[in-house]
Amino acid sequence: MTKLAALLGFGAILLALPHALSFSQQEILVFLTINVLVVASYRLLTLTGEWSLGHVVIMGVGAYASALLSKRLGIYVPAAMLLGAGTAAMVALALSFPLFRMKGFYFLIGSFAAGEIIRLLWKRFREPFGGPKGIKKIDPMPDFDIGVYVFDFFEPISYYYFALAVVGVSLWVMWRIERSPVGLTFHAVHWQDRLAEASGVNVRAYRTLAFVLASGFAGLSGALLAHYIGTINPNSFDVEQMVFVLTWTIVGGTATFYGPILGCVVLTVLNEIVLREAGFEQMRPLIYGLIMILSVLFMPKGLESLVRGALSRRNANRKMTGETEATE
Amino acid sequence: MVAKMFKNVLTRRSLLGSGAAVAGSAAAATILPSTAFAQDKVVKIGFLAPLTGPVAAWGKPGLDGCLIWGEWINAAGGINIGGEAHAVEFVAYDNEYDPAKARTGATKLIREDGVKFIMMLGGDTWPGAQPVADRTGMLFSTLLPSDLSPDTTTLIAPCEVHPIYNVTGVEWLANNMPELKTAVMCAQDDALGLPSVATYLAAFEAAGIEMQYAPLLFDPATTDFAPVVTRLISGNPDIVCLDTCYADYVHPICEQLFQQGYGGQVISCTADFYQQIVAKTSEEFMEGFVFQFPDFDDPALNDESINFQMPNEFYAEYASRYGADQWGAVSWEYASIMDLWKAGAEKAGSVEPDAVLAAMKEGGTGLHAFGEADWWGKDLFGIDNALVGNWPVVVIEGGKATIKEFRSIPDWYAKHGELLKKHMSAYGQMWNQRT
Repeated sequence: MTKLAALLGFGAILLALPHALSFSQQEILVFLTINVLVVASYRLLTLTGEWSLGHVVIMGVGAYASALLSKRLGIYVPAAMLLGAGTAAMVALALSFPLFRMKGFYFLIGSFAAGEIIRLLWKRFREPFGGPKGIKKIDPMPDFDIGVYVFDFFEPISYYYFALAVVGVSLWVMWRIERSPVGLTFHAVHWQDRLAEASGVNVRAYRTLAFVLASGFAGLSGALLAHYIGTINPNSFDVEQMVFVLTWTIVGGTATFYGPILGCVVLTVLNEIVLREAGFEQMRPLIYGLIMILSVLFMPKGLESLVRGALSRRNANRKMTGETEATE
Repeated sequence: MVAKMFKNVLTRRSLLGSGAAVAGSAAAATILPSTAFAQDKVVKIGFLAPLTGPVAAWGKPGLDGCLIWGEWINAAGGINIGGEAHAVEFVAYDNEYDPAKARTGATKLIREDGVKFIMMLGGDTWPGAQPVADRTGMLFSTLLPSDLSPDTTTLIAPCEVHPIYNVTGVEWLANNMPELKTAVMCAQDDALGLPSVATYLAAFEAAGIEMQYAPLLFDPATTDFAPVVTRLISGNPDIVCLDTCYADYVHPICEQLFQQGYGGQVISCTADFYQQIVAKTSEEFMEGFVFQFPDFDDPALNDESINFQMPNEFYAEYASRYGADQWGAVSWEYASIMDLWKAGAEKAGSVEPDAVLAAMKEGGTGLHAFGEADWWGKDLFGIDNALVGNWPVVVIEGGKATIKEFRSIPDWYAKHGELLKKHMSAYGQMWNQRT
């Protein structure tokens, strides 16, 4: 009951949040919501122990596919977004054949190379990918009226609600996957792959499954991005963006579902709102880097360790209070 | 009723109004006027360009130049709008050359800071800001006219008609060094590099200079230029053309040309912070290097046809504040756009974007920094929103950039326009080829 109330309260805060923000902060909130899906999907991939450097490019595959399907074939934007996610998953499936012949560091490098090949293809083939300039004037999400609210998707508030719904459902699906037998097997593949294999688990198949699922959600986030800003180009999905995703994930921590999300939220707010508003516009990369180094030095288990510490202290206090009351 | 309450339809009027209402939250990115004005009348100008990251060299020096421009204008009484003096105040937003951040920045500048005009570098970032421009009718400027199209009615390129002015450097070379017969070119494969490649190809063809190979396009992530340069100079070309490479490429390419013993002619669109290149190579190596962006202490800029106010003093002030080696291609450009905007606003008696735009374009001509120029561009961009006239050819002599000549871009285009269109089409750079 308490959990349900907390969940409803959190939902109410998320719904009310954009109304407490300035216009530009609402814009940042939209991008933050989309990035939450990117990092959460990245964690799904890391559950099997593999870290990829091509995740942002896969996100781009979803963005390009959705943009092209809606622009060239006139497919309804929400359907194009789902197809974009599907395309990203299919591309990941194709890449899994060569990539999962490798493990660990070699997989990391292999995924980087595969991502760069895809990016170069976008650049090289001006038809249909638009070359270095990418694709412009991507169809926006069509506006609609539900009686109590008019969704004008140019407005960040409207798009935030739409993205929040999509990301919320996606997070719920990922959370359910992690807690299902499939998710437990992902953990087994990560921590005890030899034992899992000896128990009859097809380790490669599960790694592929995690990669494909994570890529599908990353593709969906790319599609959300493309139809909001209306333009994408190969540089939007380069290694610099991948470094941001890695940073959010590492600073947040990967032991819990919320760790990377926490990293993404805290670092984005710090970089895009706090440092800009504090007048450090041009010094942001320097300060951001410094904070990252400090957080890794002093919080090696990530920001999630603070939350876990606070929760365990609260539970310990409750237990102590309960024991005291029982004694009395 | 509830729907009406929630409906948040954005109109140009409501946007501009709401922007004015919440103006004043620009924090330290705001450059405040130094002089007190009657009734505190202030007009805010947005500066939406990369201030950090690899493209910062084409944003940050421009903001630095605008600071000086703003201080001088405010000290001289500000901008006269309808008989009232207004101080000018710049509000900057670092878009990191990212279209998503350009959208956020445009929204902030218009809806929160209440700016009346926004200057951008353009390129990859313009499509991010364009929906905001379309909704609000805000007047934007770009340094890259390849952003222009018939749809971009509130976007102007009033200073730099990149890359068309590059034809003047090649034409000057052909006239003054007719012995140069062969050329090679390299460029980063992106939105800045490709239209410039097409322009240089047209200019070389018009000048009768043969390209030894097709232009060598390298990935923007390239950091090792040794193989690029080795390939470039393998045929011992008379001219190496560096296209419109970013400063982060021009410097290492020049170092490699020097280290690999190239002794021929080098031509480039820019040579930002060229003193550093001279230091890394040698004065002898850089002697005769041709590019397009002068130092503003050049005496040639004191000619009465030049419309930029006090260029030598501007350069001296810039150099004293930031260092002469920090002077770059854009240090003066955004300030020169402000000269045009100021003249337009004073002529219109209004700072409203549509009124200023109409005043700026009245008569089809304008006072460009390097002389009177025409509003032009229908052929290439589908809209006459680029201000085109003369452009300087700059040569490094004795380690110092020197203007050799001002040449007319319209005159070149009248003779060779079809060549330019041919090469632009081949690289998919005509406005109607853009996806």
